[in-house]
Amino acid sequence: MANARALDKRRKSVRNIRKITRTMELIATARYKKAMDRAAAVTAYTDKLSHIVKSLAASGTEVQHPLLQPREETKNASLLVLSSNRGLCGGYNASVLRSTMSHLKTMREEVPGVSIDVSGKRGINGLKFRGVDVEDQYLHFEDQPAYAEVEKIASMYLEKFITGKIDRLDVIYTKFISTSKQVATIETLLPLGSLGDDLDDEATTAGVSTGPSAEYEFLPSAESILEEVVPTSFKAKLFKCFLDAAVSEQVARMIAMKGATESAGDMIKQLSMTYNRARQSQITGEIMEIIGGVEALEG
Amino acid sequence: MSIRCIVVTPERTELESEADYVSLPMDDGEMGILKDRAPMIGRLGYGTLKLQTAAGLEKYYVDGGFAQVEKNEINILTGTLVPVDLIDAEEARAALEKAREMPASKPEEAQIKDKAVAQARGRLRASR
Repeated sequence: MANARALDKRRKSVRNIRKITRTMELIATARYKKAMDRAAAVTAYTDKLSHIVKSLAASGTEVQHPLLQPREETKNASLLVLSSNRGLCGGYNASVLRSTMSHLKTMREEVPGVSIDVSGKRGINGLKFRGVDVEDQYLHFEDQPAYAEVEKIASMYLEKFITGKIDRLDVIYTKFISTSKQVATIETLLPLGSLGDDLDDEATTAGVSTGPSAEYEFLPSAESILEEVVPTSFKAKLFKCFLDAAVSEQVARMIAMKGATESAGDMIKQLSMTYNRARQSQITGEIMEIIGGVEALEG
Repeated sequence: MSIRCIVVTPERTELESEADYVSLPMDDGEMGILKDRAPMIGRLGYGTLKLQTAAGLEKYYVDGGFAQVEKNEINILTGTLVPVDLIDAEEARAALEKAREMPASKPEEAQIKDKAVAQARGRLRASR
């Protein structure tokens, strides 16, 4: 039987760890709620944006823009990977890195020049370990990515795309589907293709509730508005990716820490049982010794 | 009170208030909106949004975007909304200097430069 004191020490340390994981779970829950609220706010923005796109389409404007058309030849492409700065969030970073590696392989076969930008310390270190050179690194995105910061990155990509430095931009991030499901997703944001599948979906749902109830006057012209709508919707989409990644990170951490707290509880139970048994057998041994001594004296 | 003005940025709903008169910084100049204006969708430039409310004149810097007017309600979609008092004139001037030094040898680059200059100018003007 193991040493009772050693067992007790171990039990104490497990208890301390459980305290930490429980606190982390609580913090992750609070952050997750905040991040969710922000994700809801961006939906209000994209809804209104899609309303404008819908009104434009209804007025008979042909939706055409350089950002929407795929290039004839893709020479240079960029890959943006969104990971977290901190660990202890289960398989969150691992699944992003896994899809990055496989996607990178297929991309390198198709496109001659691929550059990789990464947000998050975990992603940077993970890719370095796998021998991938990272071009730009972003470390300042935590659980509440600021739009101003994301916009800077978005404008940089837009600039690169317009000037022809890149012909394609793919983003790998963890899409938030529900609290129990987040999937690492690859999305091609540039060229936009259409004004977005989800934007169209939202447009149809928003159309039912609000609908373009009036004939709008377009100032200065429908074309000019379209020219501005397309980059804006790209920025909103990229921002949504960052928000989704942030929400998913918090959910992943919450679940991982919940699991850790639970298994710490199980471990404490198991250790307590072994400890009690060890203590009992120690006492029994001592009693036996005393009885033995008494009998020897009497005899 | 006649016009409801709602400003939405991707982060949150920044402003929701009632006003008698709203002046929008359009792409090609200012535009005033009074009660019962016909529905319109407009492109905003970089400039100052003015609201004439019961409490007085409110001024905000708007960083591009769109405005949608319908049924005495103005929906403004923009990247950022800053009250003009909070804009740093020095910073805006520095941004303008930087924008002026951008390369413009190709038409695409010139377009990007023009945009940066317009943005910095709008900011500077709003700060005064």
